[in-house]
Amino acid sequence: MRRILYIEDDLDNGSWVKEDLESRGFEVKWLQSGEGATQYVSNADLVILDIMLPGLDGFTIGRRLKKEAPQTPILMLSARTSVDDKLLGLQFADDYLTKPFHPDELAARIEVLLRRYGLTRQITKNHLSIELPDYRITDTRTGEEIVLTGKQYQIMVYFLKNPNRILTKEQIYESVWGEPFFDGDKTLMVHIRYLREKIEVDPSAPVIIETIRGIGYRVKQ
Amino acid sequence: MKKIKNSLLKKYIVIILVGIVWLPVCFIISSLLFFNVPSLFQLEKEPEFGYTNGSDLEQQWHTEARQLSGASQADIEKRLRELQQAYRGAGVMWVDAAGKKQLQLHISHNYPESWTAAEAIQFMKNTYSADPFTTVAFIGQDPNQGFMVLQVPRDILKEIKAPYWYNYGFVSVLTTLIFVTGFLAVSFIFFYRIRKRMLRLQQAMNRHGDSGIPAPIKVSNQDEIGHLEYAFNEMIDKLQSSRKREQEEEALRRQLVASLSHDLRTPLTTIQGHAYRLGKERLSEQGEASLKLIDAKVAYLGRLIENLFSYTLLSSGKYPFNPARHDIVRLVRGAAANWYPVFEQEGFDFELELAEEPIYARIDPQWMERVLDNLFQNVINHAASGQYIAVTMSAVEQGFELSIADRGPGVESESAGKGAGLGLSIVALMLKDMELEWALESTAEGTRAKIAQRFLNEI
Repeated sequence: MRRILYIEDDLDNGSWVKEDLESRGFEVKWLQSGEGATQYVSNADLVILDIMLPGLDGFTIGRRLKKEAPQTPILMLSARTSVDDKLLGLQFADDYLTKPFHPDELAARIEVLLRRYGLTRQITKNHLSIELPDYRITDTRTGEEIVLTGKQYQIMVYFLKNPNRILTKEQIYESVWGEPFFDGDKTLMVHIRYLREKIEVDPSAPVIIETIRGIGYRVKQ
Repeated sequence: MKKIKNSLLKKYIVIILVGIVWLPVCFIISSLLFFNVPSLFQLEKEPEFGYTNGSDLEQQWHTEARQLSGASQADIEKRLRELQQAYRGAGVMWVDAAGKKQLQLHISHNYPESWTAAEAIQFMKNTYSADPFTTVAFIGQDPNQGFMVLQVPRDILKEIKAPYWYNYGFVSVLTTLIFVTGFLAVSFIFFYRIRKRMLRLQQAMNRHGDSGIPAPIKVSNQDEIGHLEYAFNEMIDKLQSSRKREQEEEALRRQLVASLSHDLRTPLTTIQGHAYRLGKERLSEQGEASLKLIDAKVAYLGRLIENLFSYTLLSSGKYPFNPARHDIVRLVRGAAANWYPVFEQEGFDFELELAEEPIYARIDPQWMERVLDNLFQNVINHAASGQYIAVTMSAVEQGFELSIADRGPGVESESAGKGAGLGLSIVALMLKDMELEWALESTAEGTRAKIAQRFLNEI
């Protein structure tokens, strides 16, 4: 079971968020201040952190936790919405969600973070089963592994680490090739086409990697 | 009185008075010099026989006469002949005690051989102030020993005098010139210094510190300009304190809005959470509808608070602004990618037509994102009935044009989500600061938001 360390001083919100997360299958340790947080962080898979807290503020606590456990993702969940706060928070935190928020969005973001940190074991997408942390793809219909080339693999991993997000051509290219996107349009299209030929049931009508015309691609989860 | 003491007016009056008095004083001084330092005016040429004017001559003649006291007639005649030779162009006459003319040398006028008192008086009368210059001396200063006459043509006298006067004009003009120049120099320095201080004051007024308020200046003198400088400093002081007060109030207001924003969001989160939980219960159709409305209103309130907060920051210039060169096509595509799922969920037809090539402009990406967010949100709020959004962006000469069009009922007519004013105000403020043109065209068939740049403000 995946464990979440949740630091929130507001009782009303703390209780329902805790309940909601537990109903989604997480084990939640809820603290009402940052006191003692460092001793729990080593046991947590993810930290949800408010900013306005009694005693030490969320920024200070967040930095300490990151130092203590760099491999644990931190999600800031705050009613503070200014750009300054977000930038400050994202210096150490992995995501920043502002209140009010929809519980589904929180859950989705937690999922993305866990996946990014390799804390998810397995992803199932249509006929594909993907084993983490090395993203080994198996066709569930045949039980055979789908072997991807280097770039295809990197593209697929990038999609899986960013589920439900529409990724622009620039984002994908720069993340995978590691160089600025100037005229990588064709290259990317070719790679996506080969990737689809390997993973889609019908590459001419792709369902796993969606094309969002004019914007980019998306893999829904 | 004290005011007058240090005033520029006093200085000015003194200078003018000195100036008026100065010119005559110059003449006096140059005359004094003329008489007291003759060497200044003399040419190298020595005056003949050591006299320079009539009175000199007279004095010398009287001295000669005194020395001849009691001399024999032959001696007197000898001496007079010598003297006649010595004084150039001179004529000599000697009348003895008995009134008998003993000698007449180089005097053309035919004087009588023997003199009566009346003839002597007549002679004195005729020669007084006449040409030639005539001087008469009693021998041995004694009327009983007779008298001797010296006549020198005035031409010669003038000639002798000339060296004196030769330089006078030049020297007096020079002295006057020096003094007039001195006066002008003093006046110039007086006004130059006033001007300099005025300029200093002007520069101080134009020089703005970080706060936009000029720095105070050092008060140099206790005169009118000094008072002005003092008043200027006092004004700066007042400005600074009022600026400080303004900043404090501004900070307080921002703090208030920030904590208000925070404190409103916290219960909103609770409402949303519990509404979500309610949604998991079995509800009637009406209950479902209410829940949906609560959800929508919570989201709307959240945005409203956010806009209020942003607007407060933006209007007080505290919203972080970091413009740099960015590819705006890429930015718009990124924003479209973020919003696509929202429009998709609402059942919108999303059309995107972006330029193929990057278009660089000097913008703050955070701001541009915020602008696009507000515009997209506006479409969701106001044009959901149109089910259509088209984002087009193209390069034009020296810039770009971006348009976000919908098929909603237009912003003028009432639609589901109100409160667009604040969001659009933020858009307008941000675009203005980024020097981008902005227009919102709205008809009953739809609304088109246009952002354009007509010149490239690249770096």
